[in-house]
Amino acid sequence: MATLTPTPDIKIACTNVNKTFIQKGKQEVPVLDDVSLAVRENEFLVILGPGQCGKSTLLRIIAGLETPTTGTVTLSGADGVAHGVEGPGSDRGLVFQGYMLFPWKTVLGNVEMGPKLRGLPGKECREIAKRYIELVGLTGFEDHYPHQLSGGMKQRVGIARVYANSPQVMLLDEPFGQLDAQTRIFMEQETARIWQAEQRTVIFVTNNIDEALYLGDRIVCMEGKLPGRVQTVKDVTLPRPREFTDMEFLRLRQEIIDASQLTL
Amino acid sequence: MTAYREIRVKTPLALKILPVVSVTAFFCLWEFVVRTGIVPETMLAAPSSVAQLFVLKLSEVDPDGALLQEHAWVSIQEAFTGYFLSLAVGIPLGLAMGWFVMAEGLARPVFEIIRPIPPVAWIPLTIFWFGIGLPGKIFIIWLGGLVPCVINAYVGVKMTNPTLIQMARTYGASDWQIFRQLCIPSALPMVFGALQIALACCWTNLVAAELLAADSGLGFMITMGRRLAMPEMVVLGMVMVGLTGAVIGVVIDRVEKKLLAGIRR
Amino acid sequence: MSSNIANETTCAFRDRQPWTVGRVLTNRYFLYTVSFCCFFLGWDYLARTLGAEGSSSLARPTEVIVALQDLWDNELAEYKLLGHIWASTQRVLIGFCIAAVLAVPLGLIMALNRYVNAIVKPLFDLLKPMPPISWISISILWFGIDETSKVFIIVIGTFVPCLLNAYNGVRLVDPELYDVIRMLGGNRRDEILHVCFPASFPAIFAGLQISLSSAWTCVLAAELVSARSGLGYIIVQGMNLSDPAMVMGGMAVIAVVAWCTTLLVTGLERYLCPWKRKIAGL
Repeated sequence: MATLTPTPDIKIACTNVNKTFIQKGKQEVPVLDDVSLAVRENEFLVILGPGQCGKSTLLRIIAGLETPTTGTVTLSGADGVAHGVEGPGSDRGLVFQGYMLFPWKTVLGNVEMGPKLRGLPGKECREIAKRYIELVGLTGFEDHYPHQLSGGMKQRVGIARVYANSPQVMLLDEPFGQLDAQTRIFMEQETARIWQAEQRTVIFVTNNIDEALYLGDRIVCMEGKLPGRVQTVKDVTLPRPREFTDMEFLRLRQEIIDASQLTL
Repeated sequence: MTAYREIRVKTPLALKILPVVSVTAFFCLWEFVVRTGIVPETMLAAPSSVAQLFVLKLSEVDPDGALLQEHAWVSIQEAFTGYFLSLAVGIPLGLAMGWFVMAEGLARPVFEIIRPIPPVAWIPLTIFWFGIGLPGKIFIIWLGGLVPCVINAYVGVKMTNPTLIQMARTYGASDWQIFRQLCIPSALPMVFGALQIALACCWTNLVAAELLAADSGLGFMITMGRRLAMPEMVVLGMVMVGLTGAVIGVVIDRVEKKLLAGIRR
Repeated sequence: MSSNIANETTCAFRDRQPWTVGRVLTNRYFLYTVSFCCFFLGWDYLARTLGAEGSSSLARPTEVIVALQDLWDNELAEYKLLGHIWASTQRVLIGFCIAAVLAVPLGLIMALNRYVNAIVKPLFDLLKPMPPISWISISILWFGIDETSKVFIIVIGTFVPCLLNAYNGVRLVDPELYDVIRMLGGNRRDEILHVCFPASFPAIFAGLQISLSSAWTCVLAAELVSARSGLGYIIVQGMNLSDPAMVMGGMAVIAVVAWCTTLLVTGLERYLCPWKRKIAGL
């Protein structure tokens, strides 16, 4: 289990996080076991692991939608002071796997939801929303309803919605899991482009090794079974934009595959 | 640290007691309001009087001419006859309309004309045709159950997975074979949904039919209660109607669960 | 993800084929027309044969139209046809609005607050199985035979579907949508305002549509029992006067008016819920 030595520019730190779910029949299911990780400012961290390894739960704990049974999660604010994470809030933005757009609102309505909730005047909300809709490349679709959009477009709206709220951290929970392979590659490229245009601290959860290597500055590999533990942490120092067929890319890919403990 | 979403392992005690308290308070209030005369006895009967009448009617034929069980039995008989008839006609019709263009083309205009007319509106016409008696009431009940059966069966067939239909065609299945072996089983969940809905419709229309033109049955008992200015009989009739309807609904639900045990909804 | 009719909007591809006799005979709209004509012709034939035997149980279509014309021009118990239509519609609308205004908020509150639910739901479950028509007699005992008793029945009849649908509409909201609002910085009040209400709109509208047809049944039943005006009154008068033309005329008007009000609610839904997708059905 490898962890990062704390340095002053740590944005998020999870320390010894444990999570046990209590099922209906009073049965206890341990989901996370002593997980610690730290994320630097403006770093693109990827949590990689196969299905059912607790990575989504870890993300939800950081988001504040679940509480750890033991352990702490701290977030450093703009002032540099770290405070504990208590419940969900607009300082962390979450992009959901199932898009979760409000079906009764247009694209514009969805994206400007965050600023509206914070009480900003209508005109400003709309401008912020339009700016981020343009960033994700959906100009011209402001008045469309979610059911009129394709999967990739819906996820871009989800990303724009989180961006519009100016969170300190962006959390993405397997956002491209429901897309077909080619759209997925396109979305990975878009994500890299968007993130380079407006850098934020990002925690990205995925089960796709290529995706992790393409996007991440650091990859946290989780073990392939419950309870979830951190297996290794890999640094990826390849220059952007990355090539899927680069020698170093493929070498790292093979390393991860060899290290994974998955068996059929 | 306060949790955003509490894991509710135990229901608070208050939530368990409140329903009981609420219902008890309701009956006590009702009894109180009548006994103290806030609401005159000619308008509302206290629960205790209703209970008394219930016990009385189990063995007394007065004042409306039949025992409680006889009324109930007559109503149940009428309801079930009409109900099963509407199932027997409505479901095959709806299934056929969903698949065969011929069936839909011929049946749909007539169905769309009949559909917006509430079965209650047919009562005078039924009296012309059948007079005041059993066949007329069964006709009204049958009409009531017909519409939900047809609609649900139709939608059930329409919602058959088109990929499965295409697959069946690649096996060379004929229209009739696809209908019998694919569409009908696919439509079963919706059809079973219709069973409950149609029952509720039939039961409602039964009461309507009996309110207006009958000489026995629970609806008739309610009307007699009004004519004799005996609110306890009216309330007893209402309660019996509700109770019987609920019990039949539960029975149908159990039967349906047993029959559908293998099929996942 | 499986594809079914409810999911995708696919266009039906149809090849241009020559019109053969077989294709004409199986064309849907041709069959509709044939069926429509046969219905009226059959009705006419039946009415004539039964009338020839001397029994007046069925009126011919032309007789029905004449009867309606008569009602339109002349008064029946102080109202012309339009007045009767308005009398019934008025009762339906008033009762419907009262019930909707009471039931929908109550259903929403019950779904949002466990304590209110614990108090109200048992009472509701007790009263729910009693068909609204069975309340007619007690309504007459309480309010006499004037407008209040009829509106009361309609309120009872519309209350249950409205409340049930509002209740279920909130309970069936995808819980992840609440997560979304929380992550955007919303609190409990925002959850209710921005997620619960809009998400339950389609269900509430479905409840309104069901209530509307229930309301028509109730108003007719109430008018059949005791009324001086309204469409039910027309039918009852027709029955008392042994005039099947009047009875059938009344039924036809009921069908048209009920159909119009349904169209209104559907149109309203389409205006207020533009995001709802159509599912195949009648």
